[in-house]
Formats: sequence, C-alpha cells, structure tokens
Amino acid sequence: MSRPGSGGGLISEIEWHRPRTRWGVRTLQALLLVGLVVIGLGPILWLAKSAITPTLDTLTHPMALFPHGAAWSNLSQAWNDVHVGRYFWNTVVIAFGSWAVQIVVATTGGFALSVLRPRYAPIIKGLLLATLFIPAIVLLVPLYVEVVHLPLVHRSLINSYWALWLPYAASAFNVILVTRFFDNLPREIFEAAEIDGAGPFQLFWRIVLPMSKPILGVVSVFAVLASWKDFLWPFLVLTNSNKQPLSVRLPSIELQTSLGVFLAAMFIACLVPIVGFLVFQRSFLGGTGLGGAIKG
Amino acid sequence: MTTVDQAREPALPSKRGLSRSYARPRRTPLNWVRGGGLAAFLFLLPLLFVFGAFSWYPIVRTAIMSFQHTNFVEAPTWVGFHNFAAVWHDPQFPIAVKNTAYFALLALIFGYPIPLVAAVLMSEVRKRRGIYSVLAFLPVVIPPVVGVLLWKTFYDASSQGVFNTILHWVGLGPYPWLQSQQWAMPSLVLYSTWANAGATIIIYLAALIGVNPELYEAASVDGAGVLRKVWHITLPQIRGVLLVTLILQIIGTAQVFLEPYLFTDGGPVHATLTVMLLIYNYAFGNGLAIDYGKATALSLMLAGFLVVFSLVYLRATRSWSTR
Amino acid sequence: MKSIRVAMIVAAAVLLSIGASTAAGSTRSAKNVGISVASLIPGSTPEAIKQFNAQVAEFEKKYPTIKVKPVEYQWTAPTFAAKLAAGTLPTVFEVPFTDARTLGDHGQLANLTPYFKKLPYHKKYNKAVLAEGTNAKGQIIALPKGAYAQALHYNRALFKQAGLNPNKPPTTWAQIRKDARIITQKTGKPGYVEMAKNDNTAGWILTTLVYSLGGRMEKGIGTHAKATLNNKYTVQALNMLKAMRWTDNSMGSNFDLGWSDINQAFAAGQVGMYISGSDVYTNLVQAYQVNPSTYGLTTIPLAKNKTAGVLGGGTLAAVRPNVNKSQLAAAMKWISFFYEQPLVSKKQAIRNAKTLVANKQPVGVPALPLFNKKQYNLANTWIKPYINVPIGQMKPFLSGIFDQTLVPEPEASTQSVYAALNAVVEAVLTNRGTNVTQMLQEANAQAQAAIKQGS
Repeated sequence: MSRPGSGGGLISEIEWHRPRTRWGVRTLQALLLVGLVVIGLGPILWLAKSAITPTLDTLTHPMALFPHGAAWSNLSQAWNDVHVGRYFWNTVVIAFGSWAVQIVVATTGGFALSVLRPRYAPIIKGLLLATLFIPAIVLLVPLYVEVVHLPLVHRSLINSYWALWLPYAASAFNVILVTRFFDNLPREIFEAAEIDGAGPFQLFWRIVLPMSKPILGVVSVFAVLASWKDFLWPFLVLTNSNKQPLSVRLPSIELQTSLGVFLAAMFIACLVPIVGFLVFQRSFLGGTGLGGAIKG
Repeated sequence: MTTVDQAREPALPSKRGLSRSYARPRRTPLNWVRGGGLAAFLFLLPLLFVFGAFSWYPIVRTAIMSFQHTNFVEAPTWVGFHNFAAVWHDPQFPIAVKNTAYFALLALIFGYPIPLVAAVLMSEVRKRRGIYSVLAFLPVVIPPVVGVLLWKTFYDASSQGVFNTILHWVGLGPYPWLQSQQWAMPSLVLYSTWANAGATIIIYLAALIGVNPELYEAASVDGAGVLRKVWHITLPQIRGVLLVTLILQIIGTAQVFLEPYLFTDGGPVHATLTVMLLIYNYAFGNGLAIDYGKATALSLMLAGFLVVFSLVYLRATRSWSTR
Repeated sequence: MKSIRVAMIVAAAVLLSIGASTAAGSTRSAKNVGISVASLIPGSTPEAIKQFNAQVAEFEKKYPTIKVKPVEYQWTAPTFAAKLAAGTLPTVFEVPFTDARTLGDHGQLANLTPYFKKLPYHKKYNKAVLAEGTNAKGQIIALPKGAYAQALHYNRALFKQAGLNPNKPPTTWAQIRKDARIITQKTGKPGYVEMAKNDNTAGWILTTLVYSLGGRMEKGIGTHAKATLNNKYTVQALNMLKAMRWTDNSMGSNFDLGWSDINQAFAAGQVGMYISGSDVYTNLVQAYQVNPSTYGLTTIPLAKNKTAGVLGGGTLAAVRPNVNKSQLAAAMKWISFFYEQPLVSKKQAIRNAKTLVANKQPVGVPALPLFNKKQYNLANTWIKPYINVPIGQMKPFLSGIFDQTLVPEPEASTQSVYAALNAVVEAVLTNRGTNVTQMLQEANAQAQAAIKQGS
C-alpha cells in the first residue's frame, strides 16, 4: 500500500523532483480540480441559487445572480403547497423499512448458508447465484401482477409499502456478500462457543452479528441508497400520491408547479443525501466503505 | 489443540461448519431437529419466503406469461411463440435495440476511460485527496430523478436555456438538445456520465491505491517514464477491477429506463426509445392496448441476451483477470 | 360462562372489523356508504382544493349516510389503463369521449341505466352527447359532464406588444401564419405553438388541424373502418407546420409540449397562440394562475369547403365496475350533484357559482351544451351575475362557434390513430428534411392495423 501523503507511487520521488514532471502533473491535477468543481458542484450550486430566484428570472436569465432579488417564498411554497416534507418523510420510511428487511434476510440467510450449512445449502446458493445473473426487468411485469393480486391471500399490496419492502428484500447480491463475509470468519470462535453450550440462535445473536459490523455497514449503505434512488417500481405500485416518495412525486407535479417552486422542492429533496454524504464521506469513501467492498 | 482434534476425527469429509463429525446417525425428524436442521430451516425462512414469493416465482411466471395472452378480464390463453414473433416484427423493436446499443456504446466511450484518467491523476495527489473524491462523488449522491429533472431545465432548447446561455458566452449554439433526433441520445449520455462517473472514479481510485509501489520503483529504475508505467504496470495490475466495471456498466446501460422516460419519453420520433422503455410501453404505457405477453417476451429476450453475453465475457476474460 | 360470552363478543367484534375493512370500496357498515371520487388534477392550487372540499361537505350534508373521499385524478391514456388494471381507480372517475364506449363494450364501466332513468332530467340530454356514453348494447355506462370544441387561444398582451389588434384575432390559417411571424419578430416569443408530445396530444392537435382544412382520419366505423391518415389535407397541414417551423421560425424551440405543458407555458406568457380545448381556461386559472387580461379565445379558422369542421370532444363521468348496489346508488347521487345539477337546477347552479366565486375559481368558462339548447341558454342566464372570467375577451369564440360544424373525434381506435400520428408531427418539427409522404404512409398502416385489432 502507498503511504498517505505521498501519492500512489506511480510517479517516483526522482521524477517528482524534476520540475517539468512536477508542474505538468500539478497543472493537470489543478485542471481536474477546477473541472470537478464546475461539473460536480456547479449544477448543485445553480439549483441552490435558482431555488430562491423568481421563476421569471430563471426563465429569462438563468445564469444571472438575483437580478430582481431573491424569492424565499419558493422554499416556503415548496414546503407548504407542494408538501415536500411529507414526500421526504415517505422516502425515509421506505428507506428504513427496506433497510430493515434486507438486513434481516441477508443476515439470517447468510448465517444459515455459511455457518449452519444444511445439506441443501448448495442448492440455495446456486439459485441465488442464478438470480444474480438475471436482470431485474424480468421480474417487472409478473411482480406487478402479483402485487396487484396476491395469489393465495387475494389481497392487493398496491399502495402498501410492503409492495416495496418485500421485493427489495430479495437481493441475492446482499445475501452472497454476507455469506462470503461469514465464510471468512474464523471457525474457531464458533467451535469455542459451541463447546461452551451456545445454540445456533445465541451463536447468531451474540457472536456472528457483533462481528459483522463492517459488512452490515456496506449492505446498509447499498440498501438505503438503492431505495432512495428507485423510481419505476414505487411509481407503479404507489398510486396514492400521499404515500409516494420524492422520486415519484416530483415528476408528476412538474407541470403543475411553477419552475421556481419546483426547483426549490428539488433542492430540498437533495439536501439530506448531500448533507448526509458530506458528514459521513470519510467512512463511506474510505477503507470500510466502497473501497473495502471492492477489495472483498 | 487443533492437531489433537484432528487425530480424534474420523476421515469422513465434514461439510458442516459446526462440528458434527462422527458417523451420521439415522435421519429421523427428531434427529434432524437435534442435528440443527430445524434451526437452519428457521434461519432460512425469511430468505426462502422473500425469494420464493418475490424473486423465483415471478421469474418463472415471466417465462410462462411470455407464452400467453393476458388481459385483465378473462383467464390467460396459450399462444405459443406468438408474442416473441410479434415483438420481433414490431417496427419499434429494431429501433429500440439500436438505440440501446448506441446508448451503451456512447456511455462506454465517455464513462469508461475518463474516470480512469481522473482516478490516475487523483491517485497521485499528495495533499487533500479527499476534496477530489468528494467533488467527484457528489453527483452520484443526488437522487436520479432530481438529477434528470434538473438537467431537463439545463437542456431547454430556447436561447434562454441554461446550457445555451453558457455556450452563447463563447459564441456557440443555441442547440436543440432534447428536441433533435441527433442530439437527444448524446444528451442523455452526457447526463448519465455526469451522474455515474463519480462512483467509477472512486472504485478505480481504490484499486489504484492498492497497486504495489515497488513495481513502480523497479520500473523507474529501469528507466520507464510515467506514461510507460501506466501502460505496463497500472493497467495490468487493476485489470480485475477494469473488467468487472466494464461488464457491470454494459449490463447497467442495457437496462436504461429512467433517462429516456423522464427526459424525452422515447422521443423525438423514437430517437431515445430503449428496450427497457419498450417493455414498459408494452406493459404499462399503451392505453387500452396493454400486452403483458409482449412485455414478458421482450424481457426474456433481453435477459437471455445479457446472460449469454455475461457468460461469454467471463469465459473470454478469465485468462486476463487477476483471479 | 362469562369468559365464553366475552370471547364471543370479542370474536364478533373482530370479525366485523375484518369484514368491514377488506372491501376495496371501503364500505363502513350496512348503513354508511363510502365512495371515492375523482377530484382535481395533481398540483392544483389550495383554493381549488378548498372549493372542491366545500362541495363535498355540501353533498355530505345533503346525504348524511354517504361518505365521499376525494382522490387526485388526471386522465392520461397510459396511467388510466394501469389504474384500471390495478383496480385503483376511484369509484367515480372521468373518461374522455374517445374511450368511454370501448371501455363500456369491454365491461370495464358500471352499467348506470337503471339509475339514469330515475334522474328527473334524463330526457333533456343532447342525443349526440349522450350517445358518447352509451355502449353497443344500448346501456348507459357514463354520463357526459362537459363537452368542448377545439379553439384558438391567444395572448392579448403579446398581440398588443406586436402591434396586432387583440380584438381582431386571425380568421384564416394564412392570417395565423402571418400573425405568428410578426409576434415572433416583435416579441421574441413563439407566435404559434403546437402540442407535439407523444402522449397522443400531438396526434390530437394534428387531427384538429386536418378537420379544419376539410380532411378526416377514418372512413367507416368499428373494426371495419378504413384509415385515411395520409389524405391530402393532412399533407397540407403538415406543410403548413413545416413552413411555420423552418421558414418563419415562429414555433419556438421546444417540441415536447403536451396538454399541461402548453397551458403552463401560455400562462407564463411564453406563447402567442395555440390550439386546445375551449375549456382550458379553468386549468389555466386553477393550476397556473394565468393573468386574466392576457387571455383571448377565438374559433379555429375553417377552410371554405363542405367538410371543414371543428373537432369536438368531451368528458364523461363513469363508475368503476364491481361496486355494490349501495355504492352505485351513492355514486350516481354524486355524479348528479357535482356534474349535472349545476346545469339543470337553478338553485344548484347559483349555489355552485357562489362557492366557486368565493374560492376564486372561474365561473362561466365557455362550454358546449350537454342538454338541449334551451336548457343551455337557461343555465347561462342563471350564472350570468357570477361570471368572473373575461367573457368579453372570449367573444370571438362564443359568437363564432355555433356556426361551425362540430365533428367528433375518429371513432375507431381513437388513441391508436393519434399515437400513429405522434411520430409524424415530432419528425416534421424536429427534422427539416422529413419525408412527410413516407411517414404518413407508415402512420396509416400502423393505424389500420390497430383498427383491425379493435385496440
């Protein structure tokens, strides 16, 4: 691994002392930084500015900076008339529920497949692997028909959040990730616990779960992000507007809302993910987060 | 301690994680429970229920429905390969395939090498590399719906549109963006790259940092310049990650739906109609002409293609990956 | 003993509550009936919502055993079918003329005939309009709630700014073209904008243009109809659009506008003229807070031949199938109260107008008669004191419309005909070198195939 503060090692110390290389690389990096600021930050800053700019100004002079003053009423209208708060809350509820079911399914299933290892485990593992290969579109139509009319129970899950949580829980990726992680846990600890008289439930609750914090973190992040971003499925099953998350509601009111208020609503919708990311970015981008998942 | 245990164990292969390594007793229900079978089953219940009901059963049903004609009033009827033929002969089908391939190709050209170049530059940043990562990843954090709607305002084709205003400062434009059959798809790809490149950059960065610096030192001693080192050391060392991101990107772009749906609804004149959008139109879009049979048939065709493609890809790249 | 009795009471209570909460129509108990009704389109102003709720309250006061639940609703071809399939339509909802009969023939709308005959005014309906809600078996499956004709809407302020007289809107297509060019030159705003979205509004407006020139999209009815999309008037209309778009550049630069988008753009002062239903002023006020002084309404110019006519359409109120008798009766009461009474009962018309005015909603938006002409004129005199729309600015339409021949939308597979035309309109507006003849031929084949299938 490269030492922090010294670059990746691609450019050796000798080369770094050569002015031409050093300034060449530095210039490229500076250009990259400027590019990242403009491209990465630019649109968000524009959104923030336009959220409090009157609609007419945004339409006629989109790049001007408050030619006629700011329109803070956009934000209050977005909150009160468009009810951004309610849809945001729905998004949170959906994300939380989907996180919970995914954790439950992945940990219990992974524990059984990796630690308890019943005889039929290979079959299930094979089915999971096959599921991983099958693209999600294949499920769309029959899942919709099923949710509209559940086979045995003869109820409809339309407009219920379970129509989202249950299909989200069926994530082969999560189960395989967790199973692999459990596979790598030292078996001696299990055997020691077993000798001490621990049954499978205690093994799961007292030993395996506490050791799984890293992988649970990764699964949690994937679960919450996936649920936050999803559009098509919630769009299909949540027809009652009061239950819709932001991702579904925003496009449907696009036409009925004046541009300024609409941009304000979008800005509010962005705030939590952005702030959350900035606060947690170190752990998220660093070793335990995506980076760790890549190496795994 | 382990050697003593091993000496005591008979030479039966034990497939179980928990040690029950003496000769297996008769398999009665009671012994099954005692042997931990019930616990295993109970632990698997959530998985089996959720996957059975919401993953495996629907997959099987797709296959079944693709051979049926369904409406919401009567029972479905079997129609053999009729749905597949209907899709094949639909004039929108080749258009959708072509557009999806076009999108995937453009996305690959822009979204694959650029993040790599950026990541290589970033890996050599000596101080405050974090800022680069945060900035690059910021667009990924924005909910896709917000991103698309935001860029839809950017793409306004009038001379007061955001992009047209900016380009006007350097004497270019105004451009029709989403209103032109030529420009629509590239506009979608531009957005998609903006929204997703950050994640790729971070992944590449993690892989790049993992490269053993001694390899670079050895090459420097041999007189290799920076570009040489990148070509002969960096790329081969991270080829595992490169290959995985490539296949994942291809599979992802083949299923693109949100961008064509929200930006242009497949227009103008089907210029941005993708396979996924066509499936959606078959199943949910066509007013009174909903056809679940064609939708599931096309889903199967797309899925089949991706599966075959993935297998061929894995086979072909097996010798190249670092596994 | 006591515990058994307690257990039985508990069991009965549990069973009752389970039974009461399963039905999708939310029937509370034998006495109270609950229905859900289509209210307003998503995103309507708080005042419009208040107005609607006021009417619900009035209805519930009149019929204390009926509980009404308003549900946001907007007709679009895709979402309607999806809702129908999922069973999430409100009990009472709205259907355009074009689809009601098809749905009725497929058994997807409740049969209203027995309750219809009980309505005191059921004989006063305009026969042609009532026919739109009658299926092939002669059953009434929807009641007309509003009829409209296509009209030309124009921005009086932009006219003034361009030096045109807002009281003398164009009366021929040549004049429309000329005025559009002048508006674009003098104000920078597109002089004439047309819907070109592929949610079938593109085909709908093109059909309007073709009708006004004298053409028709179909010959005959039902699955034996012949598609005539590629007639000479369609070519003429498309060439007209081509000229305005590419030669005059007077159609703006956004060509994915649908019914709502174009209203939004107009209310924001971004459009000189456009064609849409004569009743869109309500939407302009309720959703987009249009400045009333800028609104002008006139008739679409008709060519001077025998077949030129103005496309007419309308909306009906229908009831979801699979509702029980008490829900159906309640639904009919709501339909009569909310949609029909303001047109046949003086007291109700005045009361309705008063509530609308109090909530700053438009009263007096031009509508076409659902009932006979006598009733129509009568109803207009009732609400005359409450009219708060700029009726004077709509004079060109009101004085001209009854001289125009009203032509119904293509009867067979209407939405599919429009769908086939969408691509042609989009192509002409986004690609200068479009081969109109070839595209029309393909569109015609596509429409013919749909007609034959009955979809």
